Amino acid sequence: MIEHAPVLLVVVPIVAASLPIVASIVTDRAGWPIAVLGLAVHTGLAGWLLVHVHTEGVVSTVLAGFEAPYGIELYVDGLSAVVVALVGVTSFGLLAYARKAQPRSNAFYAQYLLLVAGLTGMTVTGDVFNLYVFLEITGLAAYGLVATGRKGSSAVAALKYLLLGTIGASLYLLGVGYLLAATGTLNMEDLAEKIPEMAGYDSTLIVTAFGLIVGGLAVKVALFPVHTWQPDAYSRSPDTVSALISALVSTVSAYALARLLLSVFTVEFLTEVQLAQWGLLAVASISIVAGSALAVSQSDVQRMLAYSSVSQFGLVVAGFAIATPLAVVGATVHLIGHAIMKGGLFAATGIVRRKTGATTVSEYAGLGSRVPLGAGGFAVLAVAMVGVPPAVGFVGKWYIVIGAVEAEIWPVVAVVLASTLLTLAYFARLIERLYFAEGEPIETATESEQPLADGSGEVSFGMKAVVVAAAVLTVALAAAVPIYEPTLTETLPQLL
Amino acid sequence: MTDIRPLLAILVSAVAIPLILALRSRPNLREGVTLVVALAKFAIVASLVPGVLEGEEYVFSFGEFAAGIEFAFRADALGVLFASLASLLWIVTSLYSIGYMRGLDEHAQTRYFASFAASLATVMGVAFASNLLTLFVFYELLTVATYPLVTHDETDEARAAGRKYLAYTFGGGIAVLGGTALVFWLTGGLAGGTTSFAHGGIDGLATADPLWARAAFVLLAGGFGVKAGLMPVHSWLPDAMVAPTPVSGLLHAVAVVKSGVFGVARVVLDVYGTDGVAEIGMGLPLAAIAAFTLVAASIIALRQDNLKRRLAFSTVSQLSYIVLGLALLEGNALIGGLLHIPAHAFMKLTLFFCAGAIHVETHTDDISDMAGIGRRMPLTMAAFAVAAAGMAGIPLVAGFVSKWYLVIGALEGEYLLFAAALLVSGVLNIAYFWPIVYQAFFESPEGHDEKPLVSGPLGGRFASGDDSPARTDGGVEEGDDTDEEIPDPNHVDHLGKFHEDHEHHGGPPEGGWDERGWRGGESTWFMLGPIMATATGSLLLGIVPSTAVFLQIVTRVVENLPGVVL
Repeated sequence: MIEHAPVLLVVVPIVAASLPIVASIVTDRAGWPIAVLGLAVHTGLAGWLLVHVHTEGVVSTVLAGFEAPYGIELYVDGLSAVVVALVGVTSFGLLAYARKAQPRSNAFYAQYLLLVAGLTGMTVTGDVFNLYVFLEITGLAAYGLVATGRKGSSAVAALKYLLLGTIGASLYLLGVGYLLAATGTLNMEDLAEKIPEMAGYDSTLIVTAFGLIVGGLAVKVALFPVHTWQPDAYSRSPDTVSALISALVSTVSAYALARLLLSVFTVEFLTEVQLAQWGLLAVASISIVAGSALAVSQSDVQRMLAYSSVSQFGLVVAGFAIATPLAVVGATVHLIGHAIMKGGLFAATGIVRRKTGATTVSEYAGLGSRVPLGAGGFAVLAVAMVGVPPAVGFVGKWYIVIGAVEAEIWPVVAVVLASTLLTLAYFARLIERLYFAEGEPIETATESEQPLADGSGEVSFGMKAVVVAAAVLTVALAAAVPIYEPTLTETLPQLL
Repeated sequence: MTDIRPLLAILVSAVAIPLILALRSRPNLREGVTLVVALAKFAIVASLVPGVLEGEEYVFSFGEFAAGIEFAFRADALGVLFASLASLLWIVTSLYSIGYMRGLDEHAQTRYFASFAASLATVMGVAFASNLLTLFVFYELLTVATYPLVTHDETDEARAAGRKYLAYTFGGGIAVLGGTALVFWLTGGLAGGTTSFAHGGIDGLATADPLWARAAFVLLAGGFGVKAGLMPVHSWLPDAMVAPTPVSGLLHAVAVVKSGVFGVARVVLDVYGTDGVAEIGMGLPLAAIAAFTLVAASIIALRQDNLKRRLAFSTVSQLSYIVLGLALLEGNALIGGLLHIPAHAFMKLTLFFCAGAIHVETHTDDISDMAGIGRRMPLTMAAFAVAAAGMAGIPLVAGFVSKWYLVIGALEGEYLLFAAALLVSGVLNIAYFWPIVYQAFFESPEGHDEKPLVSGPLGGRFASGDDSPARTDGGVEEGDDTDEEIPDPNHVDHLGKFHEDHEHHGGPPEGGWDERGWRGGESTWFMLGPIMATATGSLLLGIVPSTAVFLQIVTRVVENLPGVVL
């Protein structure tokens, strides 16, 4: 029974994505209810799958009975199950936000559902080319969603995202091509066996494939210096879209990077080709520092959050690159935790903007009393992101630090510890502005910056609920980590 | 044995936070909540004292938190010492806060009282943490909870002070986290690694590579040393004086700084153990830093005209008494250092309360304006005199007992230099406190002596009385400005910033101070009561230190340590 779950998880959103288009014959407002229904089923399936993986172990499905290396296999272990659950819960939860914040057009929700389908497909697949297909589906849906903003700058941001994203995906495809040339198979498990047998870890072909794949996925994850699409895409798209994309798209791309690293190239590759590990760690560390430095210099709050993502994903990739069990647990925890926190932060900025029109750091002055929920949620999530215990932001960092200490990679230890101060640098001034500074009246927004939805300027209960839920989850998830830890370490056999 | 009381002590004021926030519009009820909660917290902690004196320890665990480390509490003698001190003094500070905040008609009082409740909850967490990671959690939360109190005024200086505070304390926190990770790794990492406190030191650390053990010690002691005001990472403390005086008193003389010192105590006594510290040879460097801070901070205090700033540097100096006692690793020195935690707390709180009362009643902040103020505020200045005497180590007040143990301990360990530093510091204490007391009672606004240490330029004046600076060839500068860069200390505020145009408020009204008598007419009893209470506490600790339970707890702490001879 459970073997059907991964397939259904991909199929349900795809089918649901086509329904609003069909329904537009009759009405233009069918998008939201269909999305709610579809994603409710999706979330239920994802939860069931997670529980099953936790209790019974890996779930593997072969599509249409065609075995590897010719067929496509879906493979769900501890890492994928929790990411799928994240995708389900977040996309479903953000619908509560989208109800008032977005136009209820069918096309928008069709793209929304298509994005979820793409993300889920990326997560459950066990085949590297299949992953490329879903990567592109995700990308196309994301580009479209970014472009739904009514401003001209949204279209430019979407175009930039499209160009860079396609380049990234193409690099990834090239890497996959080299892998196929070296081993003759596209199945992840098969590749893990065949790479050392047929080509050897340190052969030029394999190392080049690694470089291309990492380079391509780095564009999608938005590590420094290929992150340049991200600030525009996050700040120019509608609030729901920013929350959704920031929480999920880079997250699943980072998951894909981890999956390729740990399950295809495996830890042995990193040990044999030391250059690969050090290169990845260097890129990650530079991202951590550069992302924070760029974030501090921003005046627009959403752009600042985008650069913050660059920094936080540096942390995640560093954790995966260290590749000891504890570091991988830490990277996963931080991946999930960051998704919740960043999504919540964008949701909070959306609330603040609708109520007061404030978008820049200086305009945030004194808003602690005018928008208590938005500002309070923002403050809690920001403090969690800095790494103040006992929130989930701290737990991930702690595991990564321990993992790095165990692996005796001292520069990374120093950078990860310093990231707390770096994150503090850009969040502290915002919190200080919110609560401890005098507010000034904000210049009235020009026509092009008016809120986009029908209920313009209004903040619905759903929007507030999303921010509160995010804030609560950041603390609650920290308690769930010890329960989740064995699920991950036991189902990723390469690490034991 | 398992007991929920350590957790209750934390929760009782954490639960009060939403209550206080909800009672925004009913201030009397809101203050009532604070007082009730403070009394409840002290009652819970006090109920732990008898058992702890017998050697009992109360444990409560939440289970695994991260990477095999438990999130757990253990109320042992050292923890109960800190917790009982903080909770007792919170009661008097809450009463004082009511008088102070209402006397100044301060804004954002709800946020103030809620933040105080949060801070004290985290202080209990620091005191009762049973391992380094749990202590770290509450240590960071303490910074977050006290930040709104530091930035309370919402002026530019307050915000700048808040930023500095965050930068320094989070920086210290990073060092602590690094040290904790190293300790976990050194004691076995995933295979049995631990950061739990064990009297006499964690076993695994004794056999670890000394280089890494030293590195971990430096990180831990340095990280905790930021909050403990060790030089050179002490400079957040004088700037944090911009906060309201009850905050400066309870938090930055009792709770926050003592949590830093407490962290150092845990590291020296329960992570490495006195033998462990001696083996890695870190005792002497720590003692040297402490001794330097002792003396240097006292010298800097001599030049401060702003009273709170002078008290801040005095705090930096006195905290190093405690660190010095811990670093000497010897029985009597340990007793002296640990006893100084409550002793200094009572005395310094008295001094800060007096400074705050003077500010509320007369808007005077600078010592040079306080000549003859003993007429206007006799009870306050009398309490100030008592506490100042204790600071210098004069018998019958708390400071003498702890200093006695410290000096005896230093002499027993043949650390003559440290004993000398302690005695010199005592003299310097007199040097910067006595003028305040003397001028308050024995001088008047019209006829008071100049204070050359405060108002003179650095390097001294030209001997002939001419103000122009000397040139190396013996000539004299023509038409040159004299000391324009060195601001007149009379115009320097509590942040050390120069305000030429700042309206110089404070000081005696026309016709000198009016007489208020010794029956409490000088201020409200909300403020005078706590002042009298803490001053009496200082006297009690000095006259009957054993009966005032703290010495017993301290002795129990030191007796619990294997390898320490009393």
